[in-house]
Amino acid sequence: MADSAAVDLKLPPKVSGEKPGVGHMEEFDVNFARFLMHCQEECGELAEYNMAGQQTVLMSGPEAQEAFLKTLDKKLSRAAAYQATVPVFGKGVIFDATPDRMKTQLKIQVDALRYQNMKHYAAIIAQEVQDWVADWGDEGELDFLDEFISLTLHTACHCLLGPDFRYKMTDEFKSLYHDLEKGLQAIAFVDPYMQQPVFEARDHARARLQELISAIIAERRANSDKEYGDALETFMSGTYKDGSPLSDNEITGLVIATMFAGHHTSSGTAAWMAVEFARNPQCTEEILEELTTLFADGAELTFEALREIPRLESFMDEVLRLHPPLVLLMRRVIEDIDYKGTLIEAGKTVAISTYGSHRNPEYFPDPERFDPHRPKVNSPELMWAYIPFGGGPHKCAGNAFAQMQLKSIFAALLPKYEFELVAPPETYQDDFSAMVLKPSSPCRLRYRKR
Amino acid sequence: MPLKVKVDRDLCQGHSVCLAECPEVFDVVEQDEGYPVVKVLLQEPPNVLREKVLAAAKYCPNHVITVEES
Repeated sequence: MADSAAVDLKLPPKVSGEKPGVGHMEEFDVNFARFLMHCQEECGELAEYNMAGQQTVLMSGPEAQEAFLKTLDKKLSRAAAYQATVPVFGKGVIFDATPDRMKTQLKIQVDALRYQNMKHYAAIIAQEVQDWVADWGDEGELDFLDEFISLTLHTACHCLLGPDFRYKMTDEFKSLYHDLEKGLQAIAFVDPYMQQPVFEARDHARARLQELISAIIAERRANSDKEYGDALETFMSGTYKDGSPLSDNEITGLVIATMFAGHHTSSGTAAWMAVEFARNPQCTEEILEELTTLFADGAELTFEALREIPRLESFMDEVLRLHPPLVLLMRRVIEDIDYKGTLIEAGKTVAISTYGSHRNPEYFPDPERFDPHRPKVNSPELMWAYIPFGGGPHKCAGNAFAQMQLKSIFAALLPKYEFELVAPPETYQDDFSAMVLKPSSPCRLRYRKR
Repeated sequence: MPLKVKVDRDLCQGHSVCLAECPEVFDVVEQDEGYPVVKVLLQEPPNVLREKVLAAAKYCPNHVITVEES
């Protein structure tokens, strides 16, 4: 994107139906993913809508999305767009830190997700899945959204904070987490500090979580000769450029940010995968055949073994295409921008919709159809059209972890159990009530031992 | 046929999968700020490393690496 020069620049076309005061907020709240698709249909590549006074320009199509995703923070700021996360992650953490400190914090976060740690995490996940199904018996019926929320909270806690914390985890911890998630609904992106019961619950949860996590940090500092191999260890040993370590508050914030980034996004996707397995038995058979061949001799689900499971991967890619957990990515415009002759002024928000992009028939023919056999979507050619993890320099750093985890879960489950829908197929729908997409509740499936 | 390795460092977040797959050709080095980034040690690696180089490109989570067969 070029800097704007004093030439004749157009302004982005505006989406119709704006109401005084609230702008398009009401329509957005009904179903924000569909609202964004409507914006693109009406206005094209650039579409300006109004979120209770915050002018937002939706950028659609691979070219605009590439420009959005490749532009760095000093021009298109994530921090300014994601202030809603500040009360959730904490003061001074990531989007509330100075640009320098934010970069270091994100770097330390990725250090915990590098190859060396991933091997360890793969073993943890395989163990957690085994423990989870241990008391399933031969058949039964479960709400798989609830189940995966619980499973991925266990795996996230285990990988981040170690086995001690994981196995002593209380219901209190789970409910605190739930309160934090509810603190990130659409209204928080307008003003995260207004007087609202959900925000009070969020602030209480953040404070209490800090007490819980600080206690582990203190315990570890007192036993500094022990090795843990988890993310907390990486966070505690990370330093800023001047050599100073992260504070307790920052470490706590990083733990919360990491869990938050990985938890509900993964549980929602896992639940959708389970539903699609039940809804598409023919595909499930094909993947079962693949898994049986690959893991014929009872091979363990290690990081290496999980690297390449092509049919399962195509299935997962297709689930992420139709049900991308993060629908809306946003940035705040810091300096005026000239995008192909259109002026996007400083102070506006720019946004892209993964959900809309993944339903562009030009790149994904018959887009509403679930079809894991379509040409590979997770490919360099479609890098800016297929964007479940965003892309460019700020791509979701947890993408490899997330995909490894999903493969591990289903490589363990599918050979042991078959899944059936309990309700009519069309009743399993996307739930757009939170910012993170998931299947609607109840999400009940029947399982039966093979 | 010789191989030619190219990387788009702007897309790299230092996941280090390439380093694990083929340390003869890839290193991951710390930067002044931000993520550590891939460094190509051999731009035109010998044929014996073909499989390992292709694996590094294939398993890179960010599609950073392209391998041309010239």
